[in-house]
Amino acid sequence: MTHDHRTRSFKVEALTRVEGEGGLIVEIHDGEVHDVRLRIFEPPRFFEGFLRGRAYTEPPDITARICGICPVAYQMSACQAIEAACGATLDAPLRDLRHLLYCGEWIESHVLHIHLLHAPDFLGYPSGIAMAAGHLAEVERGLRLKQIGNQIVEVVGGRAVHPVNVKLGGFYKAPAIDRMQALARDLQWATDAAEEVARWVAAFPMPDHALPDDTVLVSLRHPTEYPILGERLVSTSGLDIGVDEYLDHFKEEQVQHSTALHGRLLAGGDYLVGPLARFVLNAHHLAPRAAALAAELGLTPAERNPFRSILVRAIETVHACEVASAIASSYTVPVRASVEVLPRAGAGCGWSEAPRGLLWHRYELSADGTIVDARIVPPTSQNQPTIEHDLRHLIEHSLELDDQALEALCEQAVRNYDPCISCSTHFLDMRVVRT
Amino acid sequence: MTGPPPITVIGIGNPYRHDDAAGLVVLAGLRERFAAEERVRLVELDGEPVRLIQAWQGSDTVLLVDAVRSLQPAGTIHRVAADGLTTATAHGVALGGGHLFGLGEAVDLARALGRLPRTLDVIGIEGADFELGEGLSGPVAHACTLAAQQLAERIEHLLGELSGDT
Repeated sequence: MTHDHRTRSFKVEALTRVEGEGGLIVEIHDGEVHDVRLRIFEPPRFFEGFLRGRAYTEPPDITARICGICPVAYQMSACQAIEAACGATLDAPLRDLRHLLYCGEWIESHVLHIHLLHAPDFLGYPSGIAMAAGHLAEVERGLRLKQIGNQIVEVVGGRAVHPVNVKLGGFYKAPAIDRMQALARDLQWATDAAEEVARWVAAFPMPDHALPDDTVLVSLRHPTEYPILGERLVSTSGLDIGVDEYLDHFKEEQVQHSTALHGRLLAGGDYLVGPLARFVLNAHHLAPRAAALAAELGLTPAERNPFRSILVRAIETVHACEVASAIASSYTVPVRASVEVLPRAGAGCGWSEAPRGLLWHRYELSADGTIVDARIVPPTSQNQPTIEHDLRHLIEHSLELDDQALEALCEQAVRNYDPCISCSTHFLDMRVVRT
Repeated sequence: MTGPPPITVIGIGNPYRHDDAAGLVVLAGLRERFAAEERVRLVELDGEPVRLIQAWQGSDTVLLVDAVRSLQPAGTIHRVAADGLTTATAHGVALGGGHLFGLGEAVDLARALGRLPRTLDVIGIEGADFELGEGLSGPVAHACTLAAQQLAERIEHLLGELSGDT
């Protein structure tokens, strides 16, 4: 880091506590923020090329390997897109099982992020490991909660990491009833524990900050559910579109400093996906205990402080526990574990709400089911311009801080978005330059 | 047998990133011999540290196989005890790919939580190609075969000791 009276710049070479690797460069000249760039390295999206020429049945398994944290999201978006291309519709009980599986991933991902990646920022620890010593009971509670998320993925998905039971049209095998009953019992504890986590998080000291006024918030919406599996895409700017219309309203751009594409609105400007956007646009569909707790803790759809995303994640964890509990406790073995999905020539799109936000897939198939084209738009590449825009806004209002404090604040702010660089590409490190 | 198995073998990797799959290939090499052995748990993971700690819960001996990037020739087999992990990484042996945080931190977290097994040994296999695609490079494939043989012998020895205990 360098510092003189005219220009300040800082580089965080390795942003820690994010999934994957990348970096951040900030340049401040004469008290004005000149540049904020989130740099992402690795080769972009080779998975899309990797999928071409493969059988239409393969993307759920292959795309699950893009990310170790959200394989279910990739499986669900891929399945929906290919099922749409093939004209297949899932039975309601199988959709419920997908919803349950996805709740498991939300619980796992959110609980990990809250406890080990982001809470240390708020509580003044350099790492989750250092925090564990001072907050052992909270970390232990978090690990048990995360373990229940794992169990959901294992019971429904066949194993806790990269589920193998998911296939087009449903599942290879329906979960056994006794395992679902055991899950339902664990989920009662989990819902209580998730409420305690939210109260713990709500007491964290929160930086006073708001997203730039022109940030558009984007999320899926479902007629009756808080969106994990949604039907429409809505935004705070009034967008309301179907899955096939995505490319009519959104685009991805190449930028020099990153190998990840940047998501933009075709109408102009950048946008936010993820927990805060979901909550703002869908708070009325939260499960009862999550909704009551959000109200008690002062979270409303008017919320625009990205630092409060950690609290939204905690509320969404309560919601996921409630939904999972309801599905698991009313479970009966479905009459069939999958519906048949026969190949046909055509294209289909699918989307779902990964823990970090909207994940959109499109596949084009030949008549025998060979993949002709694949396109994947992950949440972090959509958020990347917003992260940069928000950081610029944050730095402009924090120039009185010394370099060390400013750098720490920027890292904390990047983690508000729980960026999954592995999904957008890979690797993250950070540089701050003041000249 | 009741309770968790005394031995856990964990293979870490991504099958679609060439040599990063080394840990999974070694694990597959052990599966035929030990899949039915209730005292041995074989676990495939992607390196997420909390899952690691939860995967070895209850086992006294944990053997962990992962791909490694350092300045050694491809196929070099590294052996590091848990206590040596920090030293190993400081000398440039980076375990795993784009994981959330490193294996060294996972060990530190387990230590902070009192969840370190009595023995935790890491077998690192030096990779050359971590780009997208399937299949190991030649020296890495050979090293995986060798590492699986050595691990199998070690596990048999440990099982023998356990049988002697009872």
